[in-house]
Amino acid sequence: MKVKLKNVFVIYFLVSVIGLMYALLQLGQPCDCSQHLRSASDLMHGKDKKISQLLSEVKRLQARGKDSELEGQALPVIYAITPTYARLVQKAELVRISQTFLHVKNFHWIVVEDSPVKTQLVSELLAQSGLRFTHLHTETPKEHKLKESDPNWLKPRGVEQRNLALQWLRENRELSEEGVVYFADDDNTYSLRLFDEIRSTKRVSVWPVGLVGGLRFERPLVEKGRVVGFYTAWKPNRPFPMDMAGFAIALQLLLANREAQFDMLAERGYLESSLLQSLVSIEELEPRADNCTKVLVWHTRSEKPKMKQEELLQKQGLGSDPSIEV
Amino acid sequence: TLCNPHLWQQASGVSPKVIQNYVYSRPPPWSDTLPTIFVITPTYTRPVQKAELTRLANTFLHVQNLHWVVVEDSPRRTNLVSNLLEKAGLIFTHLNVESPQSLKMNGSRIPSHKPRGTLQRNLGLHWLRDSFNNTQPPEGVVYFADDDNTYSLELFEEMRYTRRVSVWPVAFAGGLRYESPIVSPAGKVVGWKVVFDPNRPFAIDMAGFAVSIRLILERPQATFKLEGIKGGYQESSLLKDLVTMDGLEPKAANCTKVLVWHTRTERPMLGNEGKHGFSDLRMEV
Repeated sequence: MKVKLKNVFVIYFLVSVIGLMYALLQLGQPCDCSQHLRSASDLMHGKDKKISQLLSEVKRLQARGKDSELEGQALPVIYAITPTYARLVQKAELVRISQTFLHVKNFHWIVVEDSPVKTQLVSELLAQSGLRFTHLHTETPKEHKLKESDPNWLKPRGVEQRNLALQWLRENRELSEEGVVYFADDDNTYSLRLFDEIRSTKRVSVWPVGLVGGLRFERPLVEKGRVVGFYTAWKPNRPFPMDMAGFAIALQLLLANREAQFDMLAERGYLESSLLQSLVSIEELEPRADNCTKVLVWHTRSEKPKMKQEELLQKQGLGSDPSIEV
Repeated sequence: TLCNPHLWQQASGVSPKVIQNYVYSRPPPWSDTLPTIFVITPTYTRPVQKAELTRLANTFLHVQNLHWVVVEDSPRRTNLVSNLLEKAGLIFTHLNVESPQSLKMNGSRIPSHKPRGTLQRNLGLHWLRDSFNNTQPPEGVVYFADDDNTYSLELFEEMRYTRRVSVWPVAFAGGLRYESPIVSPAGKVVGWKVVFDPNRPFAIDMAGFAVSIRLILERPQATFKLEGIKGGYQESSLLKDLVTMDGLEPKAANCTKVLVWHTRTERPMLGNEGKHGFSDLRMEV
């Protein structure tokens, strides 16, 4: 049969219309889109889950943030015991160490004046320092006191004062309170990292001290995490040949050993040993500062300022105004 | 004039806020409105250097908007100082210039008339002038802080709003308990309460004055002089090109309070170094 072009067009047209009608009828019919929906739904669920995961993460971190604040309160307190005495550079020394201490969390400064009374200078300085403090005083008995002309090593210094601070701690702190005691003389220099090392003390911790004993540094010798000896040139046979600035003692150890204190009559250089030997053995010492390889504290000393002109003026009755505190 | 915040601070006796809750080892956040304090510290290698810079850093970490310019007397910037500055958490600039042998600061007792730190302080000034050559300089002040002095926190708040050159007492300078400008009842500096050469144009210690940044930049020729400077005249050699006595601004309650001490650190005895194997240069001190 001959296929007429006219017929081809007619068939084409009919097929198209039928197709279009079918499509139009399909519109509005409920279709089975479940598969598509399911994947979209999965996607949504996935995102919801992620959101709730993130939310709980945030909550957890917030809680941890609060905990570390609380932890901040539960951080062992560092008690720094500083004996001090009146001399020209006293205020300067106390000002600059207080500026270091102000950076240290949970810090309690125990300042003990070698004085029959609390002086105004120290009282005001402590009040303005912004630090938590205890202000004590006790006068070194005359026979143990250094004279102006004595070399500074002739008699031990700060003994009565440190012992008074230990007594205060024993009378005012409980065994349950976590703390670490450090003897911080007012002319040394302390890095901030030192206090992290102090804080982790369990019994007695030790570290190097710079510029002491005639050396660039003294330090405990450490093998396999234990102290096995001391790198010290001066009187190395002492039970604990260390400087006052080179160790810290757990508060609980001091509270549990109420008789342990510094011996006023100790031979030169034996002051530290006189306290430590009743508290700990060398094997028990905890090495800090990267196994005692870092210097985090320096035994600096300040020069006595020259007062030649002041003395001349004072002889003429023209000395500087004493009401201006220096 | 009471609208001037600088005067308000003086009048109300506001003491600096002691910030207690900031993050460990960071200075207080930088403020866009507070004038900057550029502290220029010359320093040199010796056993107590690290200790001095450490305790200075601990002090400066309390002061808002402080920029520490440390200038080593050295042919190269040392690792000791570089590491210290990086770890301190302060905003800093680290420079170096070596003093020629005749002027060098070293461990030995240098006669007091040899100026120390001069080249280094001048380099600090040069850096400032270079940095703010084409840009709008910040409001602020320049202070020369040697690395062995002791500075109270209050001192920095006193100097912060200096218009030209401000002055105050310094303890242990010139063989006295303190040296101080003499301030008239009208609040002007009229002389110097000093014994050592009171006829100096500015009988004042390096630690006893601060200069506004604007003035430093206005007078690019003002530097510390090296040649022919008698002991005690270093400060005058700079200040004479910046200000006259009656232009000075007295601080610290009209120069009646001591807020800075000219302390000096003893040279440590290192007599046991090198004996019987006692020497370990690997450990930085």
